[in-house]
Amino acid sequence: MTHDAGFWVLQALNALQLSMLLFLLSVGLTVIFGLMHFVNLAHGALYALGAYVAASVAGAWGGFWVGLIVAPIAVAAMGVVLYGGLIRRMRRSGPMAQVLVTFGLIFALLDLTRIIWGDVALASDVPALLEGQVRLLGVDYPAYRLFVIGLGLAVLAVLAFVLGRTQIGAMIRAGVDNDAMAACLGIDVERLFFVVFCVGCALAGLAGAVAAPLLSVTPDMGLQILIPVLIVIVIGGLGSLKGAIAGALIYGVVQTFGAVLAPQLSSVLIYALLALVLVTRPTGLFPAKG
Amino acid sequence: MLETRNLDKSFGAIHVTRDVSLKLERGERRVILGPNGAGKTTLFNQLTGEIAPSSGRIILDGADVTALPVAQRARAGLSRSYQKNTLFDGLSVADNLGLAAMVAQGRGMGLGRDGLLHPEVRETVEEVAAQLRLSDHLDARVSEISYGMRRQLEVGVALATRPKVILMDEPTSGVGPEMAKGFHDLLAALPRDLTLLIIEHDIDLAFAVADTITVLNYGEVVFDGLPEAARGSSLLKEIYLGSWEDA
Amino acid sequence: MFRHTPLRVAALALLAVAGIGYAFGASYFGLEILTEIAILAILVLALDMVAGFGGMVSLAHGALAGVGAYGYAMLQAQAGVAPPIALLGAIGLTGALAWAIGAVCARSHGIYFIMATLAFGQMAYSYIFETPVFGGDDGLGGISRLDLSVLGLDLMDSRNFALFCLAMVALAYAACAFVLRSGLGRSLSGVHESEQRMRALGLTVWRVKAHVFGLSGMIAGLSGALAAQHIMYVSPGLLSWTVSGEALVVVILGGLGTLVGPLVGAAFFVVLKHEVGAITPYWHLVTGLVLIAVVMSRANGIFGALEAWVGRRRAARQPQPLAKEVPGNA
Ligand SMILES: Nc1ncnc2c1ncn2[C@@H]1O[C@H](COP(=O)(O)OP(=O)(O)OP(=O)(O)O)[C@@H](O)[C@H]1O
Ligand SMILES: [Mg+2]
Repeated sequence: MTHDAGFWVLQALNALQLSMLLFLLSVGLTVIFGLMHFVNLAHGALYALGAYVAASVAGAWGGFWVGLIVAPIAVAAMGVVLYGGLIRRMRRSGPMAQVLVTFGLIFALLDLTRIIWGDVALASDVPALLEGQVRLLGVDYPAYRLFVIGLGLAVLAVLAFVLGRTQIGAMIRAGVDNDAMAACLGIDVERLFFVVFCVGCALAGLAGAVAAPLLSVTPDMGLQILIPVLIVIVIGGLGSLKGAIAGALIYGVVQTFGAVLAPQLSSVLIYALLALVLVTRPTGLFPAKG
Repeated sequence: MLETRNLDKSFGAIHVTRDVSLKLERGERRVILGPNGAGKTTLFNQLTGEIAPSSGRIILDGADVTALPVAQRARAGLSRSYQKNTLFDGLSVADNLGLAAMVAQGRGMGLGRDGLLHPEVRETVEEVAAQLRLSDHLDARVSEISYGMRRQLEVGVALATRPKVILMDEPTSGVGPEMAKGFHDLLAALPRDLTLLIIEHDIDLAFAVADTITVLNYGEVVFDGLPEAARGSSLLKEIYLGSWEDA
Repeated sequence: MFRHTPLRVAALALLAVAGIGYAFGASYFGLEILTEIAILAILVLALDMVAGFGGMVSLAHGALAGVGAYGYAMLQAQAGVAPPIALLGAIGLTGALAWAIGAVCARSHGIYFIMATLAFGQMAYSYIFETPVFGGDDGLGGISRLDLSVLGLDLMDSRNFALFCLAMVALAYAACAFVLRSGLGRSLSGVHESEQRMRALGLTVWRVKAHVFGLSGMIAGLSGALAAQHIMYVSPGLLSWTVSGEALVVVILGGLGTLVGPLVGAAFFVVLKHEVGAITPYWHLVTGLVLIAVVMSRANGIFGALEAWVGRRRAARQPQPLAKEVPGNA
C-alpha cells in the first residue's frame, strides 16, 4: 500500500474529528460516573434526542445555528426531568439497579423518539457558512468537520479550565475524590450532582446536534453510539477527564487507521484493545481516585 | 514453621514494615502487640500474600512462599481471621463454616454431589460450631446474629480449614469482657501443635496465651522475647502508657 | 446459595404442567410462542447461573448463544456433520469460548466486568459479521433440525419441536441446579459473597469463575443451537448486544438468583412482547417502563417478590423467624 503524505493527514483529521465527537459524549458520562458512581446507559439516547431536536429546529425554523443552541437546552431540560423522576431516587441503589433502570430508559426513549419523529431517517444540512472545503496542511478538508474538531477542542479547553481553575471545579474534583469528605467540607453534594448531571446531558445534546449533519438521524443512533462511548470511558478509566480524552483519541485513531491499514481486522481491533486494557489495567488507563 | 526475613513494605513515602524478621516454631503461640498504625495488619497481609512486600522473604513450613499467591499459601496450611469481619454475610453460620471446610478439604472445585453435604465437611462444621458455642445458631444468617458471635465466627471460619498456622487479627476487638474470656478458653483448648500468631490489644489476654511476644512500633520490631521479659521492658511501657500500668 | 424450597418445587411443577398442557392445546402460532419462550428460558437460566449466583453480570450471553447457533449451522449445514454431533459440537465450542472469556474477565468487577463481557460479545459479532464464510449480513440457511424418528418423533412438526424444546429447558434447569449444588457451585456462591475470604481459604477464584462461566456458556450454546434449528436460519443479529441486554432484563423481571424466576420472566417477557406488539409497534416503550418499575420497586422480580411475600407470611406465623431463603441472597 502506498499513500502520500496528504492521505495520512486526511486520515489523521478524520481520526481527530471522530475522537472529538466521542469526547463530547464521553466526558459528560464519565464525570457523572466519577461524581455519582452512576452509569447512565441512556446517555446515548439523550444524544439521539439532541440530534432530533437540532434537525427539527434547523428544518422548521432558524437553521443549523439555532438548532445547535436549542438542542443542548432541550436535552438538559430532559435531564432535569430524569434527575427529578428517576436518578435522584436511584442514587442509593447499587450499580446493577442503576444500569438496569437506565437500560429501561433506553428502551423508553427509543420508542418515544419513534413516536414523535417516526421511523424514517431525518436529514440535516451543513450550515451555509461551513459548506465546502478548506485547504489545510496540503489537503482539502470539509470545513464542517474542521468545525467539529474546533468545537471539541474548545469544549475541552473550557472544561479543563472550569475543572482545574474555578471553585466549582475544585468542588467537583473533591466530590470525585471522596464525596463523603466533600459533604463534610460543606459542599452541597446533591446540588453539585444535579448541576453536573444537567451539564453532562447538555453536552450529549450538543454532540447530537453536531453529529446530525454528519450522520443520518435515526432512532437507533443512540444505541449505535453507546458502545463506542462506553469503550472510550472504560479504556480511559471511568470518572476522569484525562481518561475521556485519551480514550476518545485512542478510539478515533484505532478505528480510522485500523480501517485503512488492516481492513479485515478493523472491526475486531478496538474490542481486542479494550479486552487488552481490561486485562492489564482492570480500571482503565487513567482511573479517577476514590 | 513460619519465618520472615528482613521484611520491608512501603506505601509510597510511608514505611509501614521495617526489616521485620520473625521465627515461629511449630506449636508456638505468639502475640503481637503494638499501638494503632504500627503495621500489624500490614504484616499479616504480607504473610498471607494479600500484599506483596517491597523486599524480604517469607518462609512457611520450610518453603519460600514469598512469591506464592494467597490461595496457594492457604492450601499450604496458613489461615487467618480479619480485624474487620470478612464473612459471607448473606449465608447462614453453617454455610460460612461449611464453605471454609469444603474449600480446605479440596472439594471446592468438584462437580457432583453437594459440596456442603459431604460428611467430612459437616463433621468439621459441627466441631467448630461446638468449639465456638455457635451450635444453636447454625441456621441463622450472619446478619441475624450478634456482633460478638460474628466475631467468633470470623475466627471459626479460619479454624474450619484445619490449618497448621493461624493468624488472628484482634479477634476480641469490640466484644464484651465475658466473650473475651470465653475466647481465651477457646484458645487454650486449641491443639498444641497449631502455630498461633495473634494481634491483640488486650494485655491480660495477651499474657495469658502467649508463649512469646513481639512488639511492633512504627513498623519495627522493638521487642521479641518471652512474656516475663516483656513485662520488665520500659519500651513497652512507653508505647502502651496507661493500659500498661493497669496490667 | 442455591436450594430447592417447597415454593420453588411447586413453581417448577406448575410451570411444567402449564408448558406441557399448552403444548398439547395450542395452535401453530401458540406453539411458536411456546418454542420462543423455551429457547429464551434456556438462555436466561445460563445467565442467572453466572449473574445471580456469581455476580458475573454478563453482556456476552446473547453473543454466546449466537456462537452456538452459528456453530450448529456451520457444522450441520455447511460441513454436513450429523445433527446430534453438530449439536454437541456447538455446545462444546461455545463452552470453550465462554471459559476463555470467563478466565480473562475474572479479575474485572462491577461495571468493568459488564463492559469486558460486552467487548468480547461484540468481538464475536464483528468477527462473524465480517468473515465471508459466515455469510455476512445474509446469514446462513439450509439448517435442519435434529432427527428423532427413532423415537417416532418428527421435529419438523411444531408441536413435537416445542415439546422437544421444553424437554431441553428441563435438562438445562437440571444442569444448572446440579452445577450450583456441587462444590464448584457452592464455591461460586462464596465468591459472590466475598472473593477475598474465599481466596484466603485457599480457593483459586479465577478458576471457579472460568469453569462456571464455561458451563453457563455451554447452556447458552444449547439455546443458540435450538434457535438455529427453530428458524432454520442464522444471521448476525443473533449475536447483537441487545439480545444480551434483553436476557438480562428477563432475569431481572423474573428474579435474579432464583433460577426459577428467570423461567417465569421468559414466559412473561415473550407473552408481553407479543401481546403489546399486537396492539402497538412501540412495545419497547412498555418493556422499558415495566423494567424501570420493577427495578424501582426494589423487589427481586416477579418470583423474588413472591418468595419474599411467602417468607413474610411464614415469619408472621412462626414465633422464631429463621427464613433460610431470602431473595437476592439465594
Ligand atoms: N494500602 C495502604 N496504603 C497506604 N497506607 C497504608 C495502606 N495500608 C495501611 N497503610 C498505613 O500503614 C500503617 C499501618 O497500618 P496497619 O493497618 O498495618 O496498622 P495496625 O498496626 O494494624 O493498626 P490497628 O491497631 O489500628 O489495626 C497505617 O499508618 C496505615 O495508614
Ligand atoms: Mg490492624
